[in-house]
Amino acid sequence: MTMTSRQRLLAALQGQIPDRLPVTTHHIQDYFRNKYLEGLSDREIFDRFGLDAIHWTVPCRPDPANGEYFDPSQPEPTSPRFSRRIASDQWRITTETLPHPRYATIRYTITTPKGELTTVLQSNDYTSWVTEHLIKEKKDIEIIGEFVTNPKCDVEQVNREAQAFGECGLVRGHICGFDIYGQPGTWQDAAVLVGIERLILETFDDPAWVHELLEILCRRKEIFVRSLAGAQYDLLELGGGDASTTVISPKIFRKFVAPYDARLIEVAHEVGQRIVYHTCGGMMPILEDIAAMKPDAMETFTPPDMGGDTRLAEAKQRIGDKVCMIGGFNQHHHFTGCSEAETRAAVQRCFVEAGGGGGYILSPSDHFFDVDLNLLAAFGDEAHRCVYS
Amino acid sequence: MNHLDDIFNGVLDGDLTAVSAHVQEAVDAGVSPVRILQEGLIEAMDEVGTLFEEGEYFVPEMLIAARAMKAGLAILKPLLVSANVEPAVKVVLGTVQGDMHDIGKNLVAIMLEGAGFEIVDLGTDVAPETFIAAVENEQKNVDLIGLSALLTTTLASLEDTLLAIEQAGLRSRVKIIIGGAPVTAEYADQIGADGFAPDASQAVTVAKALLTN
Repeated sequence: MTMTSRQRLLAALQGQIPDRLPVTTHHIQDYFRNKYLEGLSDREIFDRFGLDAIHWTVPCRPDPANGEYFDPSQPEPTSPRFSRRIASDQWRITTETLPHPRYATIRYTITTPKGELTTVLQSNDYTSWVTEHLIKEKKDIEIIGEFVTNPKCDVEQVNREAQAFGECGLVRGHICGFDIYGQPGTWQDAAVLVGIERLILETFDDPAWVHELLEILCRRKEIFVRSLAGAQYDLLELGGGDASTTVISPKIFRKFVAPYDARLIEVAHEVGQRIVYHTCGGMMPILEDIAAMKPDAMETFTPPDMGGDTRLAEAKQRIGDKVCMIGGFNQHHHFTGCSEAETRAAVQRCFVEAGGGGGYILSPSDHFFDVDLNLLAAFGDEAHRCVYS
Repeated sequence: MNHLDDIFNGVLDGDLTAVSAHVQEAVDAGVSPVRILQEGLIEAMDEVGTLFEEGEYFVPEMLIAARAMKAGLAILKPLLVSANVEPAVKVVLGTVQGDMHDIGKNLVAIMLEGAGFEIVDLGTDVAPETFIAAVENEQKNVDLIGLSALLTTTLASLEDTLLAIEQAGLRSRVKIIIGGAPVTAEYADQIGADGFAPDASQAVTVAKALLTN
């Protein structure tokens, strides 16, 4: 029996065997969409290349009883995968465009009754990055702890979108990141706010301060996770690359990452949600540590020649019976500059190494930008040939 | 344990207070600054690199070891200068234009400095002309350029930078090594780099091999 995309992806997420190898991708980047596909929608792109579709949406709502409202300074988000910021009279965000010859540069100022916090973001066609971290002095976290707003899920909006999406595929979201620029994972959010090198050094110099910051961020995320009750999400992302072992050590992961994110996963399960733990980078030394947090799925299983360390067959053997695995495909080398036969062989290799017994979703190991469309088509088509007999 | 062992172990433990104290004790005891540098600090960073390659150490252990090493080096530097001991090799490092990632490049700087190289760190998002100016402007000859790129979208900047250095007539004067998440040895060959370093520790090995040859 042929499954719908949603049935196929859900079967894999539940560790079961679908009709064939599910095949999808992480976020579709606007750069790719606009450069190669004349601005096609996500749905049109999934259909055109035979991919099992994902609908990303993260609608948030303010809590007027707590004096919260949508941040009036934020332009309307251009995609449902971007949330509206939540402000209050005690957490007001203003922006200032700064001159820069090459990059869009914006300074954000958060005004609170006990002082201002500032951060600067830059963007180009591909991505955005922080050039001035929000937390400059240790006492800044006290301001955050006292005044930060707490986004909650707009459950009704999620459910409207889920109903409309139907059997097309999965509805995905992510745990809320910090305002302006954040990450779903607790440690990863802190890394954005403090800077990863400084945060690593503080784990040695002032671990109590790091735990205090992580607790503040985790509490905020926990409020968001509890608000997910009743939302018809299929999968929510937690984590981020700064918890990979190309950045931190297993010791830091165990002391500063796992305790907080495991707590969020437990609460997510209490309210009926599934979690995928995203670790773009090194994973092999902490595979069992991630699985022990009991996420429903793990991604991105980035191969060594893309900056990760994944040996897919070994990963499947070590944790494949505990969680669904998503990713493992080398998009850099097999979406550009190779033959269709090589792309197809790479798909088959992933299927052989990780597809056995189900519980695996083929996906590029994170984002892609420049693509040979024939290779993307071969990627989707070859996955259709990977059937479970 | 003697002073040099204490310094060696202090760097391995990332204990900057201990390293500072032991380096000062060694100096006070009349151990030569060059010996402290070579047999204490540099040997320790060499061991840190080995432990990293063996999967025993990770980036955090490298960062604190480097910080401890620098604390010791700060005590030695004035003594080395007054003794006219200068680093043998000068390296210009930077993350190429369009790429803001710096932790990989910083680690390479740490390991090269720990191996006794002098580092000119140009930072991130470095235009080709900035690399050229650095090579031209440094009072002493630059022996090596290290280029880093983390993003697949900025790989082309590696090639652009190499090309610009060649067009500026500097290519024969310097060796160039490249590295970063999406960079491979094949790509390094393809764009005409002299070497490829898959991680910060191996950057030292590659640099030494290139400069020896």
